Amino acid sequence: MFNSSGYIFRETFNSMRRNPWLSLASVITVMVSLVILGYSIFFLANTANMAKSFESELEIGAFVQMSYTPEEVQDLKSQIEQMPGVESVSLVTKEQALEDFGKTIGGTQSSIVADVGGTNPFPDKLTVKVTDPQNVKTLAQSLETNPGLYKVRYGQEFVDQLLKFTQWLRWIGFGVVAAFGAAAVVLISINVKINVFSRRKEIQIMKLVGASNGFIRWPFLIEGLALGLVGGTLAAIIVGVGYNWITVYVQSTLTFLPVVQNQVLFRQVTLGLLLAGMAMGAIGSVFSLQKFLRA
Amino acid sequence: MIQLTNVSKIYSNGARALVDVNLKIGKGNFVFLVGPSGAGKSTLIKLLYREEIPTRGQVQINSRNLVRMKEREVPYLRRSIGVIFQDFKLLPNKTVFENVAFALEVIGVPKREVRSRTLATIDLVGLKAKEKAYPHELSGGEQQRVCVARAIINNPALLVADEPTGNLDPDTAWDIMDLLYEINKRGTTVVMATHARAIVNKMQKRVIAIENGRVARDEEQGGYGYDV
Ligand SMILES: Nc1ncnc2c1ncn2[C@@H]1O[C@H](COP(=O)(O)OP(=O)(O)OP(=O)(O)O)[C@@H](O)[C@H]1O
Ligand SMILES: [Mg+2]
Repeated sequence: MFNSSGYIFRETFNSMRRNPWLSLASVITVMVSLVILGYSIFFLANTANMAKSFESELEIGAFVQMSYTPEEVQDLKSQIEQMPGVESVSLVTKEQALEDFGKTIGGTQSSIVADVGGTNPFPDKLTVKVTDPQNVKTLAQSLETNPGLYKVRYGQEFVDQLLKFTQWLRWIGFGVVAAFGAAAVVLISINVKINVFSRRKEIQIMKLVGASNGFIRWPFLIEGLALGLVGGTLAAIIVGVGYNWITVYVQSTLTFLPVVQNQVLFRQVTLGLLLAGMAMGAIGSVFSLQKFLRA
Repeated sequence: MIQLTNVSKIYSNGARALVDVNLKIGKGNFVFLVGPSGAGKSTLIKLLYREEIPTRGQVQINSRNLVRMKEREVPYLRRSIGVIFQDFKLLPNKTVFENVAFALEVIGVPKREVRSRTLATIDLVGLKAKEKAYPHELSGGEQQRVCVARAIINNPALLVADEPTGNLDPDTAWDIMDLLYEINKRGTTVVMATHARAIVNKMQKRVIAIENGRVARDEEQGGYGYDV
């Protein structure tokens, strides 16, 4: 087989030159499917990481009924401080909230109040720190039954929603990747089929002089592999460079967001994309070679 | 060397190309297949290099059974058989050298050996000067010689030819016949389907006439027949 490697690579190159547009289309679909796959993997790794870091938050936010007077709020605060598992409770009054809001949008208190219809729209907010993260949920649930509070927010709630969301995303991502992957395989197999067709005379003569089917198949198989590999390489570059860029951007602007920077994962994903590209190429060519070489 | 036993070939469209043919062709023979158009000559030739498989009966070459043969053994059978066509079947984008070398390249012969054997065979068919020419730059006779060179480069035990002179003028046809005669003298069995009356009559070789798919005549040192 090594004696023929020159022949095989020459033929592979020639056939790519023969239909450059179809080759390009094959490469691009492989690339698109793998770019989506790559980003989905990184995105899921990040949401999982984010969920973990939120789970470890020990705070519960509790919003006090608007009708409560400052005294009633103070009573409620000390009442909660007495509950088991509570480490501390801090209060952000509606006035403070309004002031903070005013700072962020750059207006004065009175002008905002006037804008929103004459009353301060913010509630008093109690931030409850918990001694043990395990207790967050039960504590939050018992706070929800407290008539003085109209809304309770805690990390777990957000985490649950996040996980539900990523579950959806996982399926959608899987579907999109599968659809593009199938399209890539089909395009590669059309590509190979056209090349088989345009070289049918040559193949006929090859068979006549006794070339084995394995030998005849090689250039086509390698063509499929090459198309897949080129698509996979482009995808790995786009995903790799893009992810690095996003990481840097997020870390400098949204500093509170934890970003996964796992070199092992990074290498596994890029290598995986290369292999996946080659696999698509191989499957595509095998599809179109199955039938025609039997006789 | 070649033995056909009760061979019938019915194509999938129902055409009965061969009916109960029995034949024996010895090693080193030179055999003409003659007969009217549609008689089944090409079909018989195709059975020999296993382009077609008989519907009934057995085909044996050198005691290899072509009917029972597995698909993956076919390439090795074909390496021992050279095939020549009326329409040459050359690759237009390859030179004379490349067309001939192709037959060795695709069966994995080492590069250096390909080169020396190709040059020797091109020399044998008298095309040394045209080695770098492309098929469209050659006359019909020259193209047929390239086809012959490609067919014999593997020193096949059997050379089959389907109307190898069909597209050539009489003089050029005789050049090709001289070549086949030479190759036969070196020990290669030759089976040739033809309509070329003059050639068959002059060569005085074995003639097998096929009519309506049956062997109608089989003579040592025969003539073309069908004289008007
Ligand atoms: N691939 C095929 N499918 C169906 N029928 C075929 C096929 N090849 C040949 N035939 C039929 O088989 C019969 C014999 O054909 P064949 O080509 O063997 O004749 P031939 O003797 O070579 O004729 P010619 O001298 O014109 O070349 C004909 O009736 C032909 O129509
Ligand atoms: Mg014929």
